[in-house]
Formats: sequence, structure tokens, C-alpha cells
Amino acid sequence: MILTALANGSQHGYGIITDVREISDGRVRLRAGTLYTALDRLCADELIAVDREEIVDGRLRRYYRLTPTGTKRLGAEAARLQAHATAALTRLNLAGGMAT
Amino acid sequence: MTDQANLERGYRRLLAWYPRAFRQENGQEILAVLMACAPDGQRRPGLAASADLIRSGLWMRLRPNVPRSAPTVRAAVQLMYTGAAVTTLSLIIAIISLAHIGRSAAGLRLAGHSQPVPVAVTVGIVVGLVLIALWLWMARAISQGRNWARILSTVLFSLATLHLFGNKGVFEVVFALLTWLIGMAAVWLLWRPTSAAFFKPQGSTQVRQSA
Repeated sequence: MILTALANGSQHGYGIITDVREISDGRVRLRAGTLYTALDRLCADELIAVDREEIVDGRLRRYYRLTPTGTKRLGAEAARLQAHATAALTRLNLAGGMAT
Repeated sequence: MTDQANLERGYRRLLAWYPRAFRQENGQEILAVLMACAPDGQRRPGLAASADLIRSGLWMRLRPNVPRSAPTVRAAVQLMYTGAAVTTLSLIIAIISLAHIGRSAAGLRLAGHSQPVPVAVTVGIVVGLVLIALWLWMARAISQGRNWARILSTVLFSLATLHLFGNKGVFEVVFALLTWLIGMAAVWLLWRPTSAAFFKPQGSTQVRQSA
């Protein structure tokens, strides 16, 4: 979800939280603690990197972006999920058109 | 003091659960996000946000901090945390079971033991807590590249092997066997040739990772 939120370009922490909520249609509500634990791990795995830092209203705002490895990983994961969804829909159609 | 200042002070207190290094690097940024997420008029951190910060902070302190270049050590540390989790689970189940026995047979003495039930329960809980602490201590020290922890883990595993034959009852034997298997796998991984490079003798110039 976080990688998907960064697929369009760099975002700061609050931007990722609101974007993930939007992408998931309100089902996923990331909290700050969870988000920064995940960001730290994704940075360590070199899937994302810090793009730039800004000071807004006296507070630090750090922007994150996908790395080439992260872009590749997100693409592979999206393709895997798409193949899974296609297989599920095909089988449901074969089983009597339940997916219509 | 304004609502916002109260709220910020509450969040700063919760951020103390994180390791200092992580807090210095990300604390201001996390605080900015927390304040941005808070609705107008909120005076103190909510229960869910507090639990999330405490859980994340503890995880950042306890997580395996071993580089990917040492996969066997990473796996060993993860197994040690699994060992701590299994020991915690067995302790909880034992406490619940003993509480049930205590209710139905208050004042009875445990078969084969001279202590009254409350004393035996207290000793059992203390031993369980010590075992959990040992798992966590070893996992943390090993993830920091301490060679003495590798040796001490092996000694503790040997003691656990001796103790394995002293267990009675299905519950005790199953959990003892499970934790013994976890310990054996962890020790085996720690002494693999691929793990050796991660551990260097004291006084070396290896940069230790700190949580």
C-alpha cells in the first residue's frame, strides 16, 4: 500500500496516510507509529529513499520516493495480484457466471 | 496550556518508547504527522494512537537488527524471538490452568511437591519470566554481534537439553520440546560458517549495530 502511494511521485508521511486511505476506499487507516516502522524497514530494504526535506510551519517534512528496486518490486507484486484476480474471475465464470 | 500544547506533550511522552537514535532521526517528523492527524480540540493522545506508538516503539527496540548480509544470524535472532513468544504463551496457559486448579482445590498441595500451591505458582511464574528475559537478552546481544552471547546461548541450550528429561505431563513436555527445537535450530544457525563473519573477537574494529 505504501509503495502504491509512492508510485505517482514522492510524498511525505501525512500524504502517504491520506493516500493509503483513499486507495483502500477508507478500509486501511495507517497510524503514524505503524507507518514510520514500515518506512524504516522499506528504507533499509532499499525499496524507498528520502527524496527531500522541508520545514513547514516549523516542523520537519520528509518526502519519500520509490527507488528503482522498489518500482520493480511494486510492478512484480501488482502483476502477481492481477494474475491471481484474473484466475479467480475466470474460474468463477467457468463455475456458472457468479462473477458477473 | 493550550489543547495543542497538551496533545503535543502527550505524544512526546509516547515517543519515548522508541530507541533514542530513531527518535532523534524521525521524532519531529512523526510528531508532525500525529499533530496533522489529530482532530481540532483533541487534548490528549487517543487510546488507539497510544497503543500503536507503544507497540511500534517496542518493536523498534526489539526487532532483529542484523544486516541482510548475515541471513543465518538474522534467522537465528528471529527464532529466539519466536522462542520468547512460545515461552510467553506457555506461561500464560500455565497461569490460567493453575488459576483454575487453585479455584477448585484451594489449599491443596501439588502432588509430589512440599510447597503450597501459591508458592509453586510464584516460583513457576518467576522461572517463566526469567526464561523470556533470557531469550530476549540473547536475541538482542546476538543482533549486536556479541560473540559472548553466541557462546552463552550455546551453554544455555545445553542446560535446556539436560532439563528436557525432567519434564512431566503432556503440556510441559510439548512446550519444552518445542522451545528446545527452536533453541537447537538457533544454535545450529549461529555456528554455521556463514555466521562466523558477523561475530568478531572483542577489540576488533567491527562496527556494532545499536538498536
